Amino acid sequence: MSGTTKNYSRYLYAIPYASWMLLFVIAPIILIFYYSFFDIEGHLTLDNYKRFLTPVYLRMTISSFWYAFLITAFSLLIAYPTAYLLTKTKHKQLWLLLIILPTWVNLLLKVYAFLGIFGTYGLVNAFFETIGIGTKQLLFTDFSFVFVSVYIFIPFMILPIFNALEKLNPSLVDAAQDLGASSWTTFRRVIFPLTLDGVKAGCQAVFIPSLSLFMITRLIAGNRVITLGTAVEQHFLVTQDWGMGATIAVFLIIAMALIMIVTGNRKWGVKQ
Amino acid sequence: MNDRVIIRFEHVTKQYDDDPPVLDDVSFEMERGKFYTLLGPSGCGKTTILRLIAGFIEPTKGNIYFNGKLMNGVPANKRQVNTVFQDYALFPHLNVFENVAFGLRIKNLDKKTIETKVREALRFVNLEGYENREIHEMSGGQRQRVAIARAIVNEPEVLLLDEPLSALDLKLRTEMQYELRELQRRLGITFIFVTHDQEEALAMSDEIFVLNKGKIEQRGTPKDIYDEPINRFVADFIGESNIIPGKMLADFSVEFAGKQFECVDHGFEPNEPVDIVIRPEDLEITTREQGKLQVRVDSILFRGVHYELCCYDDNGNEWLVHSTKKAEVGEEIGLYFEPEAIHVMRRVETKENRGGER
Amino acid sequence: MRKKLKISHLYLIVVFLILYTPIFYLIYYSFNSSGTMHHFEGFTLDWYKEVFADTRLLIIVLNTIVIALFSAAISTIIGVFGALAIYYAKRKQIKNALLTLNNVLIVSPDVIIGASFLILFTIVGIQLGFTSVLLSHIAFSVPIVVLMVLPKLQEMSPTLVDAARDLGANSWDVLTKVILPYITPGIFAGFFMALTYSLDDFAVTFFVTGNGFSTLSVEIYSRARQGISLSINALSTLLFLFTITLVIGYYFITQRSQRSSAVGGRK
Repeated sequence: MSGTTKNYSRYLYAIPYASWMLLFVIAPIILIFYYSFFDIEGHLTLDNYKRFLTPVYLRMTISSFWYAFLITAFSLLIAYPTAYLLTKTKHKQLWLLLIILPTWVNLLLKVYAFLGIFGTYGLVNAFFETIGIGTKQLLFTDFSFVFVSVYIFIPFMILPIFNALEKLNPSLVDAAQDLGASSWTTFRRVIFPLTLDGVKAGCQAVFIPSLSLFMITRLIAGNRVITLGTAVEQHFLVTQDWGMGATIAVFLIIAMALIMIVTGNRKWGVKQ
Repeated sequence: MNDRVIIRFEHVTKQYDDDPPVLDDVSFEMERGKFYTLLGPSGCGKTTILRLIAGFIEPTKGNIYFNGKLMNGVPANKRQVNTVFQDYALFPHLNVFENVAFGLRIKNLDKKTIETKVREALRFVNLEGYENREIHEMSGGQRQRVAIARAIVNEPEVLLLDEPLSALDLKLRTEMQYELRELQRRLGITFIFVTHDQEEALAMSDEIFVLNKGKIEQRGTPKDIYDEPINRFVADFIGESNIIPGKMLADFSVEFAGKQFECVDHGFEPNEPVDIVIRPEDLEITTREQGKLQVRVDSILFRGVHYELCCYDDNGNEWLVHSTKKAEVGEEIGLYFEPEAIHVMRRVETKENRGGER
Repeated sequence: MRKKLKISHLYLIVVFLILYTPIFYLIYYSFNSSGTMHHFEGFTLDWYKEVFADTRLLIIVLNTIVIALFSAAISTIIGVFGALAIYYAKRKQIKNALLTLNNVLIVSPDVIIGASFLILFTIVGIQLGFTSVLLSHIAFSVPIVVLMVLPKLQEMSPTLVDAARDLGANSWDVLTKVILPYITPGIFAGFFMALTYSLDDFAVTFFVTGNGFSTLSVEIYSRARQGISLSINALSTLLFLFTITLVIGYYFITQRSQRSSAVGGRK
């Protein structure tokens, strides 16, 4: 109504943000797709996709998802009771802060610590020795990879569940019990369904990043390329086959989008 | 043009997208120095009128004049009106003094003038000595006063009040009604007060606009509106009333509840269908024989000052009675009323009624 | 009932123990004179001396801090504007589209962000090093700032803006005198988050850093790949102390913002 120039100048402030979005959100996605159609010599080809559909990569895809699933499941299994018990403690904000604190320690340092703990003479093997099991090879196994990953992700699972539990109206629990539900029924029919959003958010925050944990596989799982994330790193930084790396990234992006849709309609939250 | 007129709406319509208009072709004038109330249920368009005057929104159609000058397109910060908001909208990061000084600082007044004016405004609303309080330290009623001080310190010609009392408890609300009325007299400026509470409207206003569905149903003094509601909606909205369908037999004679009654209304077509309004407090309990109407008491509530009886006549009409006398549930009683208590309203819908409005 | 309580406490204690064991394990052995992460031989501060004598490492620490501060500051500015843009977007679809695009980088796996930025910088011709790392850190911090600031904007009663305009404020006054002061806690929280994300990031930096430039995470990674070195332990102890200081700072900021939001909510 009051002149178009004036209307345009009102949007001036959005320019930095819009350029950020264009340059660092939209352009990279397009570039990844674009590069997936080029082989290592720079020829336009669909070979990368053909290669991705060979047993080597399919097996890697399946094992990636299997590991991610295991990591998510174990994290949830440990995190839900923890979150639940945390809501019952007296100084819950303080305890919560103590849960968050380890996430602020550089991830690599924590992974590095496990090099010592799981080492041949490390804490765990010393414990095994004293109870008479004897020394075991722990480092560079699938177990150590899953364990360390779960360790890394537990706080990210606890937080959204804790928040969901906190939001739960306590009189709903009272009402369920008043209506004759046992503790277990109350949990199964009232508490868990109402905190499902938190569980979904937590699973998202764990599942997607665990598809791409190349540093943990490199350090703990014995430098093997067992997940898609490691494969992307391998192709981009070791073999320099960007086309193949981009192709794997395309599949990761598609998988990610599917997961977002499936677990969808949660409110966006920050990881930490 | 009448130079007492300060605000004039000319065929103003406000519509969002394809929804039905929130304000539908409304025209009116408001005079300087009066206390106006816009009354109506939620969604009737009363707040829209306020926001149009304040300049937060622009009319879809029609013109708004302020002191005879066209206001369309003039932004809110350039208008000589100030608003007291429903949630007060006090700035939480500023203390009481800075909240009140906000508008003056925008105008770049010098420090001394600001100091004097803010103190004066705070004194006006009985908040001397609260300058350095934080907003969250103030009670609801005090915040209300800060909001008023913040508005009047700018010396507006019109003060807009958007349901400012709705967040207060009953006792405080009644007190503030007196205070606001008194404040308006002292300042001598125009107040436009929006409310859905008819008691508030009746108690405070020089003139009330009753709105419904984006249209003005009736405007008039509180007494006019209470005693002579123009149609069923207004009668229903202003106070509790018994509204019974009837028929105007001739001048000064009306039929309802299966009987014929003497009344003071005239000028209707013979046998014109009408609605009859009788206020519950105009009905008196007597014996069955002395009553003009015979009813049976269905339920009774003690309301403090009076009893509220719900009765039914033989034709199944419900009669609400406010009386200091008590009756028993199930008792057959008579109701007496003066001919003046009967108010006859045309059944025809609002539009044609408005033709006869001044 | 009492017994149940004990079991639940035990569970929590075990979880906390597992969460903190690695950290204290690192710290404990940083004082070990034998040079391994097992068998504590004797107390020494040699590893700390080594850290402080390592100029290369100190330069890397400095780089990391400079990158973190710059990226946090710049992304906070962009992010605040972004949050305002989303807040002011009139149509719901636009608002949702902006939010979705905003969150892409938050939910994307780090390797994809890293790989795609690597392609981007190579194509645009930005040399890998300080600039590319700084740009990537700004890029992935912006959406975090937006998400910290936006709720503050949304919780602000729109009548506050109306009130300011009613009192004569123009758009600039509204922004600087009402909106920005109101969302200040959110801006601080966003800045702080951006800072920690930047300090913490490894994967994205690993992709876009060249040969000459390194941040602490990347350095720790390359050292850890060569095996155990207790100077890393010493470094991690120092970092842990630094983190705790930051956390305490952050804690006070959020406390303050909580208090002021409680004020806004009490009407």
